[in-house]
Amino acid sequence: MPNMREIRERIGSIQQILKITNAMYLMSSSKLKKARKSLECTEPYFYKLQSTIESVLEHTPHTRQQYFDRREDIPEDKRKKGYIVITGDKGLCGSYNHNVLKYTEQKLKEAADIDNCYLFVMGQVGRMYFQRRIQNDKKGYVDGEFLYTTQNPTLYRAREIAEQVLEKFEKHELDEVYVIYTDMVNSSLQEPRTLRLLPFERKHFGKAADGTMKKLPKASFMPSPEEVMNYLIPQYAKGIIYGAMVEAFCCEQQSRMTAMDAATNSAKDMIKDLSLMYNRARQAAITQEITEVCGGAASINEE
Amino acid sequence: MAKTFHLEIIATDRVFFSGEVEHLVITAIDGLIGIMAGHEPLVTSLPTGELKYLVDGEWKYAAISEGFIQVMPDSSIILADTCELPEEIDIKRAQEARERAEERLRQKQSIKEYYETQAALNRAMNRLKISQKHFK
Repeated sequence: MPNMREIRERIGSIQQILKITNAMYLMSSSKLKKARKSLECTEPYFYKLQSTIESVLEHTPHTRQQYFDRREDIPEDKRKKGYIVITGDKGLCGSYNHNVLKYTEQKLKEAADIDNCYLFVMGQVGRMYFQRRIQNDKKGYVDGEFLYTTQNPTLYRAREIAEQVLEKFEKHELDEVYVIYTDMVNSSLQEPRTLRLLPFERKHFGKAADGTMKKLPKASFMPSPEEVMNYLIPQYAKGIIYGAMVEAFCCEQQSRMTAMDAATNSAKDMIKDLSLMYNRARQAAITQEITEVCGGAASINEE
Repeated sequence: MAKTFHLEIIATDRVFFSGEVEHLVITAIDGLIGIMAGHEPLVTSLPTGELKYLVDGEWKYAAISEGFIQVMPDSSIILADTCELPEEIDIKRAQEARERAEERLRQKQSIKEYYETQAALNRAMNRLKISQKHFK
């Protein structure tokens, strides 16, 4: 049985940690409230943007616009793939970062040639992870100058990121661009997800109401499809990146809150167990003392 | 009353407007376009500018920054970065400017803090390690 002093010290240190986790819980829950509000405001835009673009693409006539260039002449293993990965700036948020990183690793494994993968990582945790990984086996490529925080997403930041990525695509430094972020399915379920940003794909056929495939009617574009797409695609990229950032930020706060809540609870449990052990040890010590005293008294009486 | 169509104006930070309108006038890249019910399918992008729409015989005005519009015969959707009523504008602009400044600060701050914390942690760990190794 461990002695009383040891147990007391342990209870003390657990109480200190409990205070910290509890404070972090309170902080993240107030941040979550804010993040969730902005998510609620942005979600209609995010989903509407995706569905509208989808229907716009169904009505787009053939264009030579550069963002539609699928570069089919480049074989699969030579294609340069860009991934915008959204992670957190800090740890201590349960499996949030871990899930995104694992998912990204899996995507990299699926890619034909890992040397042609370019990572644009948002958030310190992910950046550190991939930089270390690449130092070790020199595979893939992380843009070291891509320094963006994921805290409190703004349109301004999304615009900068979109501009950078589109420029790289135009210069043929990237052939495909994906966004990897964590999607909030509901408050208890979050899962990493990929969205394809570039190149765009025009749909020739759509499903009609009776289930048969039919040729879609073309909408008119003013002044011309190319001109409209020149504006529309950067707009879309920015919207998608912003939406993903908002989702991811909300997920981060949510999982930090859950993790800290769990930590606080298990600290409380531990304190309960240890107090029991402490009391037992105390009781045992007293009992032993009484036995000793009694034993001593008895031996004196006998003499 | 004239025939109406469904209009949705969605900004990144809120659903600005959703409802039936009789007439919509937007500033597209190459000039003003008026849209009424039964318009042919049209897609065009909207630079920063003004838009107005007619609801129950009353014109409503709004300032819009970069976006695009998809017009269908019976409905239209406008997706834009921001969209605001004239009376909201000044405060908004001030807020945005502040946001930008804060953003730049935060960007620097966050990275700096991370490295500082990491350095502090390293120092503390090092001290603990050495004291445990040589001083028992």
